[in-house]
Amino acid sequence: MSYQVVSNLEQVLSALKNRGENSRIIAGGTDLFLEKLPEKLLDISALAEALVIEERGGTMLIGAAVTHARAVASPLLAKKVKALTEACAQVGSPQVRNLGTLGGNVINAAPAADAAVALAALGAKAELIHYSGNTRTVEIEELYAGFNCSAIDSCQELLLRFVVNSSDSGSGSAFARLAARKSLALPLANAAAWLRVEHNCLQEVRLVVAPVKPAPTRLFKTESLLVGRPLIAESWREAAGAAMDEVEVRGSLLRCSADYRRHLIGVLVGRVLETAAGRALTAKGEA
Amino acid sequence: MQKEQICFTLNGETIEVYTDPTISLLRLLRDELGLTGTKEGCGEGECGACTVILDGMAVNSCLVPAGKAKNRSVLTIESLAKGDKYHPLQEAFVEKGAVQCGFCSPGMIMSAYALLQESSEPTSIEIRTAISGNLCRCSGYKQIEEAVLSAAEKLKNRGESG
Ligand SMILES: Cc1cc2nc3c(=O)[nH]c(=O)nc-3n(C[C@H](O)[C@H](O)[C@H](O)COP(=O)(O)OP(=O)(O)OC[C@H]3O[C@@H](n4cnc5c(N)ncnc54)[C@H](O)[C@@H]3O)c2cc1C
Ligand code: FES
Ligand code: FES
Repeated sequence: MSYQVVSNLEQVLSALKNRGENSRIIAGGTDLFLEKLPEKLLDISALAEALVIEERGGTMLIGAAVTHARAVASPLLAKKVKALTEACAQVGSPQVRNLGTLGGNVINAAPAADAAVALAALGAKAELIHYSGNTRTVEIEELYAGFNCSAIDSCQELLLRFVVNSSDSGSGSAFARLAARKSLALPLANAAAWLRVEHNCLQEVRLVVAPVKPAPTRLFKTESLLVGRPLIAESWREAAGAAMDEVEVRGSLLRCSADYRRHLIGVLVGRVLETAAGRALTAKGEA
Repeated sequence: MQKEQICFTLNGETIEVYTDPTISLLRLLRDELGLTGTKEGCGEGECGACTVILDGMAVNSCLVPAGKAKNRSVLTIESLAKGDKYHPLQEAFVEKGAVQCGFCSPGMIMSAYALLQESSEPTSIEIRTAISGNLCRCSGYKQIEEAVLSAAEKLKNRGESG
């Protein structure tokens, strides 16, 4: 067993390269530490390159090692990517939010991980670096191989940060979930929306819900129905209905029936759209 | 199991331990260092009984690998009393009847301690949020909330901050 706390990127890449298959990246450990641990752990929670929160030329850079608590505390994120702030604020408990990271939330690949759902709606892309030095940038959805199974091999590749386009004026986002309790409970369902408004109509919409598929699930049909619609209650009601028709959900004995989950997804979709639209209007007013 | 040297600050004192870095900080504190004030409830992040302060933040010590504490600062419930003088949080928990079986109390108090470091006049909602990761099976939480409010007042009157 060995445990190495790494502080710069070169260290991570050379450690992954030299130590082969039995060394694995760990961040907050809130998911990994409860599983069977590999021989060697590389702790990236203090890796400066993965801790950034900044806006550069119309793009938000959000480090994979940023904890939920730090994300919630960031005024920049609250202004630019509110759905993410709202999602992170609802993860687990204060103690879990102080440890758990955005990157871990996505790579752990739970189907309704809160931050992952918000990031997908925001159109975030993930920047990855392989130990060979190769880098690639992929959509959030491409990081999933199956239920609770990531497409990323965390013994070979580092998720460095997320990039989100923040240049669109008149856009807004929102996240909502329902769980059995307000803390220490995983969501029965969650939803996030990002949208852009022009002349009081929806111009672009990204709508994501979970748990439906292994990855956060875009509702493309419902999105296309919304484009061009005015920002009125009827649009949100129709979208809620369309979302319920579009999703194929499973029930679970532990949490709730499929019917209940479908209904819930409809309700959450209506809420996030309305909230995001309100924010888009406010953003326009400020611009 | 390969052991490593881990140097960190524990309750204000720099210490060095020789241990398996992949055991939990909770195990290290209780089993190897004999600090049994920190409790183990669930062992998986769900109850908060094991809450300690890591670099100023409340965390579940059952989820923290010992190796993560390297070069960092850990505060446990044992750090609060000064000699036989209890911390205002401890006094208030006793006075307000916030302790029944007492199993949740160390974790509850450490979560409240983290809050009082951040805000000296916490609102009810802030207190409820701060202890939302701590389960109590006895008290019903109301007395705990009152105790934290009362401790905040005591600290203010004494001109201290935690
Ligand atoms: C009590 C409790 C409650 C919880 N409640 C919620 C909740 O309400 N909502 C929710 O979404 N989640 C919840 N979680 C799950 C968990 O806290 C989050 O998913 C968290 O964000 C995981 O991040 P981490 O840094 O702790 O991941 P880790 O455990 O460190 O890692 C998770 C996985 O990702 C890999 N990994 C981590 N970072 C990287 C990286 N940068 N590059 C490559 N691989 C990486 C690791 O190898 C591992 O496979 C809860 C967990 C607990 C224990
Ligand atoms: S023992 Fe750590 S949270 Fe329950
Ligand atoms: S006093 Fe018994 S669990 Fe809280």
